Amino acid sequence: MTKYLMGMAAGIAVGLIIVAIMKWRTGKFTSVAAKAEYLSQRRARMLPAITVIFLSQQAAFFSTLGTHDDRPVTAVKISAWLLLSIVILAALATKGFWLERREVRDLIDDENTRANRNDAMRWGFLGSMAAAIVVYALTMFQVEISARDAVHIVMTVGIPAALIRWGLLERRAHRSA
Amino acid sequence: MPERLANGLKERRTELGLTQAELAEKVGVTRKTVNTVENGVFTPSATLAIKLAQALGLSVEQLFWIER
Repeated sequence: MTKYLMGMAAGIAVGLIIVAIMKWRTGKFTSVAAKAEYLSQRRARMLPAITVIFLSQQAAFFSTLGTHDDRPVTAVKISAWLLLSIVILAALATKGFWLERREVRDLIDDENTRANRNDAMRWGFLGSMAAAIVVYALTMFQVEISARDAVHIVMTVGIPAALIRWGLLERRAHRSA
Repeated sequence: MPERLANGLKERRTELGLTQAELAEKVGVTRKTVNTVENGVFTPSATLAIKLAQALGLSVEQLFWIER
């Protein structure tokens, strides 16, 4: 349990550092619209990067799939992955940019962004369901998959599906001038 | 033949000498949303269509029409 808490703490620390850097870099904007535009463009650029980070964290899990690897380093990696999953899901479900002012958050989450986010959530849901069906079908052929592994696999497909879709839509929206 | 919502947003905006960012600020959305509406990538809600028409001094029917 302590190993998992260490992973969580490491994840929170990294997250706080990233937030501090973001706040420092966006402090130069005086207009709400300019700041919202900057953050919106940066989000479009960051979404593919977050997907890559998320998927690279999966290496720790998939390399130990079916084994009983209880080394602290693996526990820390899996905890960090879990924390990142929670943060990503929260960002997908809400406006994100939680530490920004309300008017900036409202503007960043305008009509087009909400439509893109909803479409991304739809893709995430469909990806998750497709993965769940595959996992279920595999168990019909005597493949042993624990509940924990099944959840991990479903999340591994669902979250990146939503992130990639959102990223593509946001980039297209910024680009199509 | 599928129907699509066409608009004269870009022409009217340019006529008034407004940038996408300025129009976006007038209607309370980001420049990205104005950009996607202009390019037909995104179909705006009735609320946003009315706001855009008001900001550009036109009726919604003058600004948006259905293309077949």
